[in-house]
Amino acid sequence: MQDFFELSLSAAASGCIYGLVALAYLLMIRPTGIINFAVGEWAMLGAFGGFLLLTKFEWPYPVGMAVVVALMLAVGWGTERLAVRPLMEKRAPLLAPILALLGMLVIFREAISVSFPPDPHPVPYAFEIQHQKYFIIAVSALVFAGFWFFFEKTLWGRSFEAVSLNRRAAALMGINLSRVTALSFAGGAGAAGLAGLLVSPNVSAHYLMGVPLAIQGFTALVIGGVGRVEGALLGGMLLAFAEQLTTRYAPIPSGYAQGVPLLFLMIFLLVRPTGLLRARAA
Amino acid sequence: MGPILEVANLTKRFGGLTAVSRLDFELREGEILGLIGPNGAGKTTTFNIIAGVYGADEGEVRFAGESISGLAPHQIARRGIMRTFQHNRPFGGMPVLDNVMVGAHTRFSRNPFSGKASREERQQRQRAEGLIDFVGLAGLRDADVGTLSFGQGRLLEIARALAGEPRAILFDEPAAGLTPAELDRLAGIVRGIAGRGIAVLLIEHDMRFLLPLAGRVVVLNFGARIAEGTPQEVRSQRAVMDAYLGDAAAL
Amino acid sequence: MRLAAWLGAFAVLAALPFFLGSYHNDVYRKLLLWITLALGYNFLFGICGQVAFSHFAFYGIGAYSVVILLFQVGLPLPLAITLGVVICVALALAVAIPATRLEGFYLALVTLALAQLFIVVLNEGGAVTGGTGGIAGYRLPAVFGWRIAGPAYTVVIVFLMLATLALLLRLDGSWFGRACRAVRDNPEAAAAMGVDVARTKVIVFTLTSALAGVAGMVYAFVDNTVNPPIFGLDNAFLILFMVIVGGAGRHAGAVIGAILLFLLPFWLSPLVGHHHQLVFGLFVLAAILFQPKGLIGLWDRFSR
Repeated sequence: MQDFFELSLSAAASGCIYGLVALAYLLMIRPTGIINFAVGEWAMLGAFGGFLLLTKFEWPYPVGMAVVVALMLAVGWGTERLAVRPLMEKRAPLLAPILALLGMLVIFREAISVSFPPDPHPVPYAFEIQHQKYFIIAVSALVFAGFWFFFEKTLWGRSFEAVSLNRRAAALMGINLSRVTALSFAGGAGAAGLAGLLVSPNVSAHYLMGVPLAIQGFTALVIGGVGRVEGALLGGMLLAFAEQLTTRYAPIPSGYAQGVPLLFLMIFLLVRPTGLLRARAA
Repeated sequence: MGPILEVANLTKRFGGLTAVSRLDFELREGEILGLIGPNGAGKTTTFNIIAGVYGADEGEVRFAGESISGLAPHQIARRGIMRTFQHNRPFGGMPVLDNVMVGAHTRFSRNPFSGKASREERQQRQRAEGLIDFVGLAGLRDADVGTLSFGQGRLLEIARALAGEPRAILFDEPAAGLTPAELDRLAGIVRGIAGRGIAVLLIEHDMRFLLPLAGRVVVLNFGARIAEGTPQEVRSQRAVMDAYLGDAAAL
Repeated sequence: MRLAAWLGAFAVLAALPFFLGSYHNDVYRKLLLWITLALGYNFLFGICGQVAFSHFAFYGIGAYSVVILLFQVGLPLPLAITLGVVICVALALAVAIPATRLEGFYLALVTLALAQLFIVVLNEGGAVTGGTGGIAGYRLPAVFGWRIAGPAYTVVIVFLMLATLALLLRLDGSWFGRACRAVRDNPEAAAAMGVDVARTKVIVFTLTSALAGVAGMVYAFVDNTVNPPIFGLDNAFLILFMVIVGGAGRHAGAVIGAILLFLLPFWLSPLVGHHHQLVFGLFVLAAILFQPKGLIGLWDRFSR
């Protein structure tokens, strides 16, 4: 029983991380339709930010965490400004910003690879190692609750929804499309960076950590469905539990555990691409 | 002239809304049939069902005696029904000539490697050039479709649809967005098409364009047929005038 | 292109390796393989508009298949090659048929997952795949008593590249190529014109994946080693980048992009070490932002 509790805790914490990455995708996909694979690299940046500020400069955790998130918001805003807005203004097909962001993915990763030695870099825990999982769950719960509230209850959140449903109509209603887009990218980067920061004490910051996280996050999104914030978290949880349970109880070599999110992704895409939760109707 | 396209007992519901209700009409070879009605009357839904975009809940569509209900758009094209789009949908990555040649897709034999294929390529190219001239886009054969005006784009739609050597052609509000001069040319083209023996089904809002052009008209309202006949006959019918109430200028 | 031109090109390209030292021969072979891959990917992505990340995975599937079938299973060469192609085709169909029913980007995601899954399977494949170290130290079996090696093998690669180019050019110039472009530009209109969109996508994906697989089989005997890192996602992105930078949709673009991005690391290494990926990322970003038609687009502009 204790064993199962431990496993559930681990899964819940992983689920939160995946959920945050899925949330990052969702924040950008909803208003623009753009799938930004660079979220994995953003998570990596968050992790390296944690390394720099918390390990190297030894800032107090809350301060370091807040600054990392703030910096990530700026990175997201900057990415949108540089790689997305010019294309949206030129009315380029949707594929163009997606490819531009792939280019950014490589740029981010290589920029880190150039600036730091290739070994993993340690990032400190918020409290002690055994409390990290609770911390992850608590922070994620706050973030999700915050976003849920934002979308359900606030005016800005509703205008965001309006853009998701119909860009043109929203623009005609006076909603500033480029501001919504910029905010969505900033938010996405913030969520992704936070995920990286939270997961990195366990896995260390490493310049190759981005792509696996991006895939896991995307799988969580596909499982949960793009329509609702809660879906991202649900998808993350389901994925994490499936992973943990498979690794623990299924009689296959542990290396194949990496294949679980991939198989899930393929199966869900082919069988139920819209995810488990439906979007709210207009 | 027998009917080439028959719509029988066609019904389509979207959720609780009945968009088309037990609709019957036929399109005869070589005629120009107008399908008109106020907004929301079910014209576009009917059009899309015939074009295979979605299926009907009840009823049947028959072409040249065979049922085409439930066929996908590409299969319908292969049977000999081509269509245009209301909001022009050119193939942006190809010049005008290639756009038109895509319309002839169903005319090519299966094997792209055979000698026959090269011959067909040449033949269709010539045909396409002829069609480009016919619709009035002569000289724009190699132009980038992005450089075409709205009206020219509309003409391209038509040339492309004709390239398929259709027996029936469906026009989705072809007059929308055209200048009076362009409308004249369009009317001439439509007459020319019907003159070649191709049946024309026109959905249209613009009565001044449609009524002089159509040989017969079917009037829809609330998804059902409320009148049918020549433009003159239909125009003065009570039911039709009621349907267009508030839109009297249209009549 | 006329037959004489093809033969001439073949003669020149095939003669070249006999004048190159072994180092340059190796670079030349790899360049030819990259060009072959880029041509195939260009057809899938640039001409048919399908985004997929599995092209390089199929390269690896082809390579590993032929090695495993020859040396683990012990099949004769012709059978190993045929079976390898069958495996690639079957896998491609299994992925493409369901994926093409959905929105365009689903294929991209499924193929991304497939590419990663392939690496996981390779790493965990134990004795069959050689695990993380891969398989090495084998040689191409003799064909009719003749061991093809060195510059003679390069001739095989030249033939592969030219055959791929010829096939794709022929397809492109036919109604099929037009149908592919129509699917890329406006699938709904393409369907209205009689193009079976799903079938076209499946055919193109399967064909180009099989071509990549065949190239992989040829590659297996270039270094006489296959291991997981070679077929990773980095190279999948690189193929995409080559086609974008060179000019998506144009065969010449694929060739130029492949040559440039393949040779660039050699020229850049004194400057940026092995961080040439950074330069690629910048090139791609620049291409998409400023010159979406790629280098070939620039060439067109200047030659007017």
